[in-house]
Amino acid sequence: MKGEAHLLSQQLDRPSEELSRRRIVHVDINSYFATMLEQENPALRGRAFGIVKDEGRTCLIAVSKAAKRLGIKTGTRLQEARQILPDILTVPAEFDRYLDCTRRLHQLFLRLAPGVQIFSLDEAFLDITECQQMYPDAQAFGELVQAEIQHELGEWVTCSVGVSYNRLLAKMAGEIAGQNGILQITEDNRDSFLAVVDFKDVCGIGYRLEKKLRRLGIEHPYALNLWSLEELLPIFGPYWSVELKLIGRGEESKVLRLLDERTDADMKSVGRSITGWQPCDDENQIKQTLYNLTVEVVSKVRRMNMAGRMVGVYLWGEGRGGGYGYQSSPEAQAIENTWGAHRTLPYYVRHTNEMFDLIYNQLYQSWPRSFRVMKFGVWLAGLRRLEHVPIPLSTQWSKRELVEQAIDTLTNRYGLFTVKPASLVNFQMIRPEVTGFLGDKKYYGLG
Amino acid sequence: MYQRINESIEVAGVFSRGKFLIHKFKWQQREFRVAETTLINNTRDGGVRLRLYSVSVAGTLYRLKWNLETHEWHLEEIWYEG
Repeated sequence: MKGEAHLLSQQLDRPSEELSRRRIVHVDINSYFATMLEQENPALRGRAFGIVKDEGRTCLIAVSKAAKRLGIKTGTRLQEARQILPDILTVPAEFDRYLDCTRRLHQLFLRLAPGVQIFSLDEAFLDITECQQMYPDAQAFGELVQAEIQHELGEWVTCSVGVSYNRLLAKMAGEIAGQNGILQITEDNRDSFLAVVDFKDVCGIGYRLEKKLRRLGIEHPYALNLWSLEELLPIFGPYWSVELKLIGRGEESKVLRLLDERTDADMKSVGRSITGWQPCDDENQIKQTLYNLTVEVVSKVRRMNMAGRMVGVYLWGEGRGGGYGYQSSPEAQAIENTWGAHRTLPYYVRHTNEMFDLIYNQLYQSWPRSFRVMKFGVWLAGLRRLEHVPIPLSTQWSKRELVEQAIDTLTNRYGLFTVKPASLVNFQMIRPEVTGFLGDKKYYGLG
Repeated sequence: MYQRINESIEVAGVFSRGKFLIHKFKWQQREFRVAETTLINNTRDGGVRLRLYSVSVAGTLYRLKWNLETHEWHLEEIWYEG
């Protein structure tokens, strides 16, 4: 253990002098989905309401600032929200508008700072290290960002601004600053913030890890400095022990360091999932849903001119527990009402019918049908650019590729699902939607 | 809630600093004067570029769609309480 700790401690040795010269600004639009709807519709401003994916949906994927003040949180079921506010209003999300607003924010940030990293749909890091002469005052720069955002998106749109010398502390500063606030964390005041901030405001620490830390009496990041690497190792393992030590010192966690990976790196996988309206055991409905999701996944993969060789599918039932079905053991899957299967192929896939055949006629047939399905998901991973993939020589593949190319042309001109499989003609198509964490930002040209 | 309309309309406005600003629109033989444009978004339907306008008329929100290819305008939705 001592030898392992010694090896791992080398990962903690980082040059700090150069880093502390940096100036990073974290911008987070407050309650983005709700705020944009309030900006759009004056009748909604200041009101407590929840956002649902579509009419009739019951999960609040976002809530307004007024609803948050009443204790209604994102992810709350409508039924639970009604116990707090019986006549709570629900408004459908406008994903196309959010994506367009994020694009406009990206353009705005590029005008203000030389280095911009979009972190999620409503968050970005601006690196102004090289223009500190132009922006010597962090508070003034924060105010400039807030004013420019209101000019671009509307006067109702507010944001939190955090400033520091790395992304972990800048984001933490933004969380502490609160709605429409500006806060700077420097080397001088860093430790006092690390000693009081909650782990929920620390990027990279999830709910379960926070709970585990709390059980050990570690309530704030600074307390991690009182634990040695040797003490953390048996509890958290080699990866998290190093990560926690870094976070305790106010250094960037892995999730933030990943942003520095080559920005021109290709996407590794494309997946799509959807939660149904009600538990489903209709065989035809399950088939059509999986087919619909497959069409979207293949369309995105083809648009990026790629192909993949790992195909997967998963289903979640009512009242499932934690964890992804395809990661759990069969016993855990049975308890959690989840199921998943995947296959790694010796060749690459980029045709809808081929992927659907693998998903439905092969993987799905092994599902024991032990629960009614609430959530459906398909994915294609191991993606590579088409020019790096061996093309099958069969005439059948070439013919299919020509058909897919013709569909691509029609899709690009008239939209997705203009041409769709005959079995989906009478099916209410599930259209693409952007997610809050913007996992597909490279696809949308924001990464 | 938003009520779906999806009907063709006529629009009058001005181009100002690279933006088209709506002054009024005509729907079902009635004229609506725009008090405020609250949000403008660009989107696409396949290769067709669309511009979405949200405008406030006498306290009610109207969602308008401009097809930038055919230059047709549609009233998409109206906000109503209840």
